[in-house]
Amino acid sequence: MNQAEVRIRALEDTDIGDITALDEKLGGKYRPEVWERRLGYYMRRDPDSSSVAEADGRVVGFMLGEVRSGEFGLEEPTGWIEVLGVDPDYRGSAVGRRLAERVLESFRARGATHVRTLVDEEMAGIGDFFVALGFEPAPMRPFVKRF
Amino acid sequence: MSTRQVELPKKYHQAIVKWSERFLPDYDFLIENWDRFFPRDPEFRLCAYRELGMCTKIECGDMEGKPKFDEAGKMHPKQAGHLLGAIRAQASTEFGSIQQHQLTLARAQDEEEQVWILRMMAEELRHGYQMIHLMLEDDWSAVSDHSEDDMVEQILSMRTGSHILGAFNIDFDSFVDNVTFCALIDRVGKFQLAMQKVSSYQPMAESMPQMLREEAFHLAAGVVPLRRYMEKAAQGSFCVSTSDIQKAFNKWFPRGLEMFGDERGGGTNVRFGLKPMKNAEAQQAYIEEVEKVVRDLNVRFVRARLPELSPAEAQGVLEQLLTDHGAVRGISHEDLVHMPDSGFFRRRGVPAFELIGWDGESFAELDDYLAHLSRHLPDAYRAGRDFSQYVEALTRVHSGETTAAEASQEMPVLTRVGGVCPCSKSVRWVAGNGSNGADDRGSADGVPASTL
Ligand SMILES: CC(C)(COP(=O)(O)OP(=O)(O)OC[C@H]1O[C@@H](n2cnc3c(N)ncnc32)[C@H](O)[C@@H]1OP(=O)(O)O)[C@@H](O)C(=O)NCCC(=O)NCCS
Ligand SMILES: [Fe+2]
Ligand SMILES: [Fe+2]
Repeated sequence: MNQAEVRIRALEDTDIGDITALDEKLGGKYRPEVWERRLGYYMRRDPDSSSVAEADGRVVGFMLGEVRSGEFGLEEPTGWIEVLGVDPDYRGSAVGRRLAERVLESFRARGATHVRTLVDEEMAGIGDFFVALGFEPAPMRPFVKRF
Repeated sequence: MSTRQVELPKKYHQAIVKWSERFLPDYDFLIENWDRFFPRDPEFRLCAYRELGMCTKIECGDMEGKPKFDEAGKMHPKQAGHLLGAIRAQASTEFGSIQQHQLTLARAQDEEEQVWILRMMAEELRHGYQMIHLMLEDDWSAVSDHSEDDMVEQILSMRTGSHILGAFNIDFDSFVDNVTFCALIDRVGKFQLAMQKVSSYQPMAESMPQMLREEAFHLAAGVVPLRRYMEKAAQGSFCVSTSDIQKAFNKWFPRGLEMFGDERGGGTNVRFGLKPMKNAEAQQAYIEEVEKVVRDLNVRFVRARLPELSPAEAQGVLEQLLTDHGAVRGISHEDLVHMPDSGFFRRRGVPAFELIGWDGESFAELDDYLAHLSRHLPDAYRAGRDFSQYVEALTRVHSGETTAAEASQEMPVLTRVGGVCPCSKSVRWVAGNGSNGADDRGSADGVPASTL
């Protein structure tokens, strides 16, 4: 895969269809209404930070997030990476890293002093990906109670 | 990203607030309920935002590499005149779109969609405010005889029918217009703002980033509901059909194309460093983006109608429908949404007043063409004055009474409120304020649409 062909840019409204398709490729479920809602949210909150990777005229990777303060008692302005995905055909060629560079740069420009994310430990590789990007495990543990 | 927030001098700020009381009556409701509808979003503030730390060198044109202008007085008068024309036209569009959206805002079927449009209207108010900030912050006396009061009053007294650009003189007929307008006409706005972000006039360039952030949401406020309508239509809803959406596209898309200005023009803006692209180039990029929107809407429709298909199978069905124009698995070509030909129903630019059909076909007879238009445009729109004016102009062009170029130039006349108070909440604050500029009644200030 020729990396030069991949362009990293801000998320746009016209990416909804492609992101829905990529999510379906990754997770096996077609969820257009989920992405309509989410994209509506990020386009409203912070269209600069959320980013996509485009190759051959379609989205092959995305990383969505925003800067917030006050989550879980963390008062400092924090950039939250909330959802990401890279097309399996384009993995291992720094698409994820380039997406993160753009997102983090934008978080910094918006005044974030930290970047945080939550990783599902059952999803192999994502934790290593963040470690490779310089993230370190934080002393916070997620808890869940199911009904 | 850091910005500086600026308020207009009090009397002008108040004039815009007064204007909003009349044309955006739900503004207070929006502000009071902001936290309910947009939890954790920063509060809306009616002010101008100036981005800090932007490029200080001219980015295109004859003066590329030289420092950007921080004052209009330092620019060549022709350059400054062009720029002022663009600022006025932009201001007119911002206020104009609010007047249009207000007409059908109450007809939304879904509260979320309605509130999105309402927020978008408040942001358009801010965009108009931003343009007035540019008018007031600098001294334009070298290129305009109008006083500051006059310039502001002229903008605030425009109504649907007297705005500078055609798209803002057309009434909305249903909420489908609200969302289609966002998806198609705000998209032109996005292109214009993105181009003006490199403007050689620094205050203009600094005004764009915040407007562009807001514009991104305006596009989503159009595209997301449209996608949901496609799903509903595919499931056989009686509330919205793809034919409604198609007709709304036919109504707005030609006007969107014309907002880029004449396909042969735009070179002056590039030379002056005001925009990086000529009209035709920007228009082409727009067409490609709308093609993507349309394709996504159709995928949404096919997947909703045939949920049993895999993504690849659904794409296959869509391809076949688009190639054969027939029917596949109960979906016909007409069930989908399509882009009208770029020559269809045009009144400005290269194809102005040509008898070009929706599919790009040519008509020999005027009557056949009008019958064709009547099949492709919404009924309520055809009953309105914009369409009747177009038909009247087209008839004159085709009888040889006038040329297409002349008919294209028939600008809407700027109506000034003069001494008559249009309503109890009017913006008549200008009266008694020293200058009422009564001599320029009816002047469009020589601003061609192609400046935008
Ligand atoms: C994690 C993911 C984003 C990585 O994308 P990518 O484009 O392949 O990553 P990059 O090529 O940019 O890799 C960047 C770094 O991370 C490391 N990395 C990436 N994936 C890794 C893995 N599976 N295991 C170990 N390290 C990995 C790379 O080695 C690289 O390190 P280096 O730069 O030091 O050599 C991608 O694999 C993915 O999309 N996974 C699924 C995500 C998902 O399911 N999302 C939905 C729920 S949020
Ligand atoms: Fe706007
Ligand atoms: Fe807008």
